[in-house]
Amino acid sequence: MLEIQHLHKQFGSVTALDDVSFNVEDGQITGLIGQNGSGKSTTFHSILNFLKYDGTIRWQNKPVTESVFDRIGYLPEERSLMPKLTVEQQIVYLARLKNKPAREIRPQIDNWLEKFAVKGKKTDQIKSLSKGNQQKVQLIVTLIHQPELIILDEPFSGLDPVNADLLKNAILEARDQGAAIIFSSHNMANVESVCDRLVMLRTGELVLNGSIEEVRNQFGKSEVYVTTPWPETRLAKLPHVVQVTHIRDRRFVLHLDDPTAGPEVFEQLTNGKYIEEFSQQPPTLDEIFRMKAGIDHE
Amino acid sequence: MNKTWIVAAETYLRQVKSWSFVILVLSPFFLLGISLGVGYMSASTGSNQQRIAVISDRPALRKQFIKQNKDDIDAKVQTVSAAKKKSAKNKLAGYLVLSTNQQRVSAVYHSDDSIDSSLKIQITSFLGKSQQMLNVQNAKLSSKQLTSLSQQPVFQQKIKKQSGGSNIAKIASFWIIVVMIYMIMVTYSSVTAQEIASEKGTKIMEIIFSSTTATCYFFGKIIGVMMVILTQIVVYLVGGFAFLEAAMQLDKIKDLINQNASLLKSIVGNLLNVNLLFMFLGVVIYTIVSAFSGALVAKAEDAPKAAQPAIYLSMIAFFLTIPFESNSEALVAKILSYVPFFSSYFMPLRIINGNASALEISISLLVLIVSIGLLMTYISRIYEGLILQTDDTSFFRRLRRGLSYK
Repeated sequence: MLEIQHLHKQFGSVTALDDVSFNVEDGQITGLIGQNGSGKSTTFHSILNFLKYDGTIRWQNKPVTESVFDRIGYLPEERSLMPKLTVEQQIVYLARLKNKPAREIRPQIDNWLEKFAVKGKKTDQIKSLSKGNQQKVQLIVTLIHQPELIILDEPFSGLDPVNADLLKNAILEARDQGAAIIFSSHNMANVESVCDRLVMLRTGELVLNGSIEEVRNQFGKSEVYVTTPWPETRLAKLPHVVQVTHIRDRRFVLHLDDPTAGPEVFEQLTNGKYIEEFSQQPPTLDEIFRMKAGIDHE
Repeated sequence: MNKTWIVAAETYLRQVKSWSFVILVLSPFFLLGISLGVGYMSASTGSNQQRIAVISDRPALRKQFIKQNKDDIDAKVQTVSAAKKKSAKNKLAGYLVLSTNQQRVSAVYHSDDSIDSSLKIQITSFLGKSQQMLNVQNAKLSSKQLTSLSQQPVFQQKIKKQSGGSNIAKIASFWIIVVMIYMIMVTYSSVTAQEIASEKGTKIMEIIFSSTTATCYFFGKIIGVMMVILTQIVVYLVGGFAFLEAAMQLDKIKDLINQNASLLKSIVGNLLNVNLLFMFLGVVIYTIVSAFSGALVAKAEDAPKAAQPAIYLSMIAFFLTIPFESNSEALVAKILSYVPFFSSYFMPLRIINGNASALEISISLLVLIVSIGLLMTYISRIYEGLILQTDDTSFFRRLRRGLSYK
C-alpha cells in the first residue's frame, strides 16, 4: 500500500500541495483528478522522490527510494522516448534500468507489441512510429517489468477509444495481479469505468477521497433521468425541480433541491400511469468534477 | 549489471554507432590518405619531368654520377639525341654532359630552365670530388703525401641540455597535444551538451529517474563519453601506427621517414607518455562542465550555446599556453600547470621541455583527478534538479531554481 500523509509542497510563494493525505491500496486502482495546475503531477513527482517535500510518503512501509524503484512503473504526462533507438533497444534499455535482464525481456516484446496492437516492428526506430504507437511503446515500457506500484500521468490522453480500451484492459490486468495503481485523468468516463477509488485535488487541496460509490453518494441522489412527452417548461414546474437539462429527444435530467423528494416528483409526473424512464441517481463524476472544480468560480 | 554501467554502455554504443562519430574518427585518416595518394601520384607522374639525363663519353664517370644521384637521373637516356627528344616531349628536365678534357672534369647542363639548386650543389660536389681524384692520380703522390692531403677540417657541436637538436620535436609535440586537446574537447563538449540538453527537453529523464538515481545516471553518462573519447584516442594511435606501416611500403616516404627518424621518435615519445593522460583527463573535465551547461539550458536549440562556457575556457587556456611555448619555466606556467582546466595544456608543455619533475607531474595529475571526482560528485547531486525543471526563464533563475529543486 502507498501511504501519503500530510503532503505539502511549496514552490516559492505558490503552494502546490497542501496537507494532502490518501492511500493507494494494493490490487486497487485510484484515479487522481483535478484541473490543470491542481497538483496532480507534483503529487506524482513527490511520490517518485523527484522533489523535496514535507509530509510522509511510504510504500510497503518504506520510503520511496532507489531500493524500490525497480518495482515501480511510471508513465509521465508528456510522452517521450529516445527517437534514434529501435523499439526493442528502447524497451530493453529501460527494462534493464529496472534490473530486468535483456534475456528475460526480449522474448516478451512481440507479445506486448501484439497486446497493444502496435503498428510497427521491434526493429523500427522509435522516430519512425506514429505518435499513438510511440505512446503504446511507452506504456509497454511502463508495464513490461511487472511493477507492483504503477503511476500513470494522463495515460489516456491522445488515445482513441479502441486504444483506450486496450490500455484499460492492461490496467485492469495489472490490478488483478495485485499492483497498486494510481493514474490521473481529465476523462471522467475512463475514471469511472476503471477506478476503484477516487481522489480529487483542487489548487493543491484534497477535496474528494473515497470509492466511486462513496464519492457519488456524498452528493445524494439529486438527479432524476426521465423520458417523457412533457415539454421542458412543464417539467420545470414540478415540485423540488430546480433545473431541467434536455439530453436529447424526450429525455431530460431533473435536478432536485432535495434528494428525498423523488417519490413526490414520480407521483406528479406519472399520475399512476406508465412512464418510459424514471431513474433517480447521484450526480455523475463529470458533474461532481465540475461542481468541485467550479467552486473557485462561484 | 550496475545501472551506471548500463547507462555508460548505452551512451557509448549510441555514440560510436553514429555516422557522425565514424566520420569524425576516420576523417583524419581519409585526409592523410588523400594527401599521401595525391603526393605519391604527383611524384610518380612528375618524376620524369624533374629528372635529368647524364651523357658522357666516360662510362665510369657517368656510372659513378648516376650511382650517387639515382633518384634524380633517368639512366635509360644515354645519348644527346635521345635526351633532346625526351626533353622536347617534356619528359626530361634537361641533360648533363660530363667530360674530361686536358685533365679537367667539366659538366654542361642543357635545359629550357635553370637547374634545381639542390641538384646544382650535388653536381658541383661531384665535380669537385672527381677533379680531386684526377689531380691526386696525376700528381703521383706517395701514400704519406696522399694521407696528408686527405686530412679534413673538424667541426663539432656541443649542445647544452639537448635543446637545439630537439627543438623541432618539442614544438611539433606541443602543437600536436594542444591542438588535439582543443579539437577533441570542442567536439565532445558540443556533443555532450547537445545530448544532455536534448534529453532535458523531453520527459524521458522522468522515466529514467524513476528507475535510477541522478548520480548513477550522470556518472554513467560521463563514463560513456569518456569511453568514446578513449576509443577515439585508441583509434588514432592504432590507425596512426597502421598508417605509418602502410606508408613505409612506399620508398619515397620510407626515405623521408628514415631521414627524420629521430625527430619522429621524439614526437611520438612526447605523445605516448603521461601527456596522453593529461590530454584525456583535460578533455574529460571540459566535457563535465559541458554536461553541466547542457543541463542548464531551457530547450534543445540552446545546446550549442550551452557548450560555449567550456569552449571559451579551453580557448583561454589554449591561447595562454602559446606565449609560454618557449618559456615553460616561467612562474605563471608553473602555477597554471597545477590548476585544473589549465594543467592539461601547461603540464604537457613543461614535460615536453623537460622541466617538470616526477613529483610535480604526480601532484598536478592528482589535483586534476581529484577535481574531476569532486566536480562529478557535485554536479551529480544537483543534476536531477537541473534536468527536471524545464522553465524557459533566465539562465541564472534556472540555475538558482535547479540548485534548490531538490
